[in-house]
Amino acid sequence: MNEHSNTINQDDLPGDFAIWIFIFAEMLAFGVLFVAYAFTRAQNIELFNASQLTLNRTSGAINTLVLITSSYFAVRGVEAIKRGLNQQCAHWLTGAFLLGGVFVGIKMVEFQSKFAADITMSTNNFYMFYLSLTFFHFMHVLMGMVILAVIIMKARRGGYSAHDYVGVETGASFWHMVDFLWIILFPLVYIIR
Amino acid sequence: MNNTKALSNLFFTVILLVLAVLTIMTFSLGEAGMAGKGVMLTLLAITMIKSQLVANYFMGLRRTKFLWRAIMFGYFAIVGGLIAVAYLMGLK
Repeated sequence: MNEHSNTINQDDLPGDFAIWIFIFAEMLAFGVLFVAYAFTRAQNIELFNASQLTLNRTSGAINTLVLITSSYFAVRGVEAIKRGLNQQCAHWLTGAFLLGGVFVGIKMVEFQSKFAADITMSTNNFYMFYLSLTFFHFMHVLMGMVILAVIIMKARRGGYSAHDYVGVETGASFWHMVDFLWIILFPLVYIIR
Repeated sequence: MNNTKALSNLFFTVILLVLAVLTIMTFSLGEAGMAGKGVMLTLLAITMIKSQLVANYFMGLRRTKFLWRAIMFGYFAIVGGLIAVAYLMGLK
């Protein structure tokens, strides 16, 4: 069945359709939070602008570059497995996984600096949104890394082929969603004022 | 065959570079401390381009039914549009 869906029906979404239900549901949840952030800000502009200045834009931008590069590595992993190259696929996905680790490390330093300054979700509305949005996203990065790790292990064992790569596409699609959401989150929370 | 693959990989690399340049543009606008309607709309436009590049090329939706691309574009149009409305409300 997987072979059929991969090689014949090009109109279908990449990977398992179930992951797309999950992706759309997650996008909806983040979308509601993004819009709630924007409308709450409209009621407290000075507070939001002042609090936003305390964020580290450089680490936010570096994390954006890290995630888009990681997403690119995932694309190359999918391209490799479409040619039946399991080891090459595993190498590209390992690169994506490691960059996910870099993102997590940078984000943890950022969270640590906020907690060290006694900033919590109850400090004010801006930080409530900043911490909840970025932590919610952070959890998705961790989940994506677990998914990538499982795929990498299977690819290393030669578990995929040029005719059976639904699992790789499924994991890569989830990883791209993580990137897609950060692309909106970064300018919204760190930049636009 | 190899040439096709090489071209395909080059294409994805170009998309990555475009995404990186757009990210640096976003960061630079933030570092310059620029604000206001024009800057907000510019940043949202850059974000829209980036999100659609990821959806269509990295996620691979350009090869799927129009419906899926429409959902991804519609998502950004609604979310981005509401964000713009909220920011414009704040400017008044």
